[in-house]
Amino acid sequence: MTGSREENQAFENIAGYVLNSLDSDAEREEVEELISTDSVAQREHREMNETAGLLALGVKPLAPPARLRTSILDQTRFDGVESTAESSVSPITRFVQSGFAGSAVAAVLVIVVAGTLGVQNSRLNNEVGQLRTELNSELQAVSALREELESSKTDSMAMVNQMESEMKKMESDFGSTLAQVSHQEQMVSELSVANNALVEALRDQSWLTYVAMKEGYQIESWLANQQAPSDASGLIAVRVVGNEAVFQVHGLEQPLPGHAYTLWLIGNGAPNPVAQFTVSEIGSATVSFLLPAPLYLYSSAAVTQEPIGKVDHDPSGITVLSAQTN
Amino acid sequence: MNYQGLQDLELLELVGEKDREALAELYDRYGRRVFALAARMLNDSVSSEEVTQDVFMSVWRRGGTYASNKGKFTTWLFSIAHNRTIDELRKRKRDRSRQNDDIDDYLNIESGDMSPADAAVAQSEYAKVREAMEDLPTEQKQVIELSYFKGLTQTEIAEKTDQPLGTVKTRMRLALKKLRNSLSTEMGAQV
Repeated sequence: MTGSREENQAFENIAGYVLNSLDSDAEREEVEELISTDSVAQREHREMNETAGLLALGVKPLAPPARLRTSILDQTRFDGVESTAESSVSPITRFVQSGFAGSAVAAVLVIVVAGTLGVQNSRLNNEVGQLRTELNSELQAVSALREELESSKTDSMAMVNQMESEMKKMESDFGSTLAQVSHQEQMVSELSVANNALVEALRDQSWLTYVAMKEGYQIESWLANQQAPSDASGLIAVRVVGNEAVFQVHGLEQPLPGHAYTLWLIGNGAPNPVAQFTVSEIGSATVSFLLPAPLYLYSSAAVTQEPIGKVDHDPSGITVLSAQTN
Repeated sequence: MNYQGLQDLELLELVGEKDREALAELYDRYGRRVFALAARMLNDSVSSEEVTQDVFMSVWRRGGTYASNKGKFTTWLFSIAHNRTIDELRKRKRDRSRQNDDIDDYLNIESGDMSPADAAVAQSEYAKVREAMEDLPTEQKQVIELSYFKGLTQTEIAEKTDQPLGTVKTRMRLALKKLRNSLSTEMGAQV
């Protein structure tokens, strides 16, 4: 081998040729041309080819499936029929006369069936592929829909939470407002009661003044609570002529259930009940009664709580008002 | 006839006469090798079966035309197997429908139902070739791996390794020469 051979492109490509790694048919043809004409190239090729063949031994042997051996030998049976085509007998005659006719027919049938199955298989594969594509599209659509639903759900939950928060605030505000309204209503109610009481007191006062001036009454006694701090008070007015009298009282508590107030006139140590009465919401009452005897015969007056309709000879309840009459 | 006692070339001569039993014996001797090479390169059992079937059908059809003066039978057989597998690999590249990245699964598969003697021979040959490969400089081993087992062309290897095309060609040639020297020492008459 000379230096010029080393520089020969085709000679350089012998290694690539035996490793089947040349890039083009033109390169392969150049190498084959060189090998066919140059003995040195021939030897180079042979040596490299044998070495390349040994590379296959660098792979651990691996047993193929057992069916492969049978398949190859079965294929040679039909391949062998074709290989006797050099015979002078026409192919059709040879085919009909040969012992392989039956087998060949069977083979044709097998091929036809296999071809049919192959076509069907191909169609099925296409259908499966199409279904798989459609399924993938459906899955993507479902996935997108699920994402949208998740997003909507999140938004809705945020809105619900916000609305709940606002409703709670409104309920709280409403509760405060309701309490205020209730408080104001209570105040109005109390003011109304106070106003009615004032109106009633003024009316009583006016009536008493009128009685005193017009009917000839005169104030004879002023009753006051002597035992506990209280705003209760009362008076007894007696007509100038006759035995008619009026007892007016303010500021008494409501009596116990089943009880009423009783006005007593006491003379010579003997109490004498002259009237039993109830009071208004503000503890007022105006009671007309007839004096059993002239008032000067009584030394004092008192007001107690007694059972309704069961007034005895002596007071049983606590004295809430009392006064000397002279 | 005792086919197991015949040499490869004697069996091949019978194959040329359409003796199916002779082909079966050759398959029993080298079917695992061919299948393993295809599996190593394709990493696909089904395609490897197809390649193996095609290779032995080529032997069946072309056995009568084999010229022993052109080289050893195994060199011829593995060359057919390699070329057929390369065709499959490059077809895949065009289809871009399959990957061939992981070959370890097949490398780890045991030799199956081989006899202990055959397994011992195979293991010895395997170890020698692998040792010779390991002795190569890294860059030379790389071009052999990429070209022989991955099916890359010289230009593709140059692009992948970022080396000039001329450098790839030189490394390829030097690698084969070094392998020859190593294996001729180790395996003697085989090379």
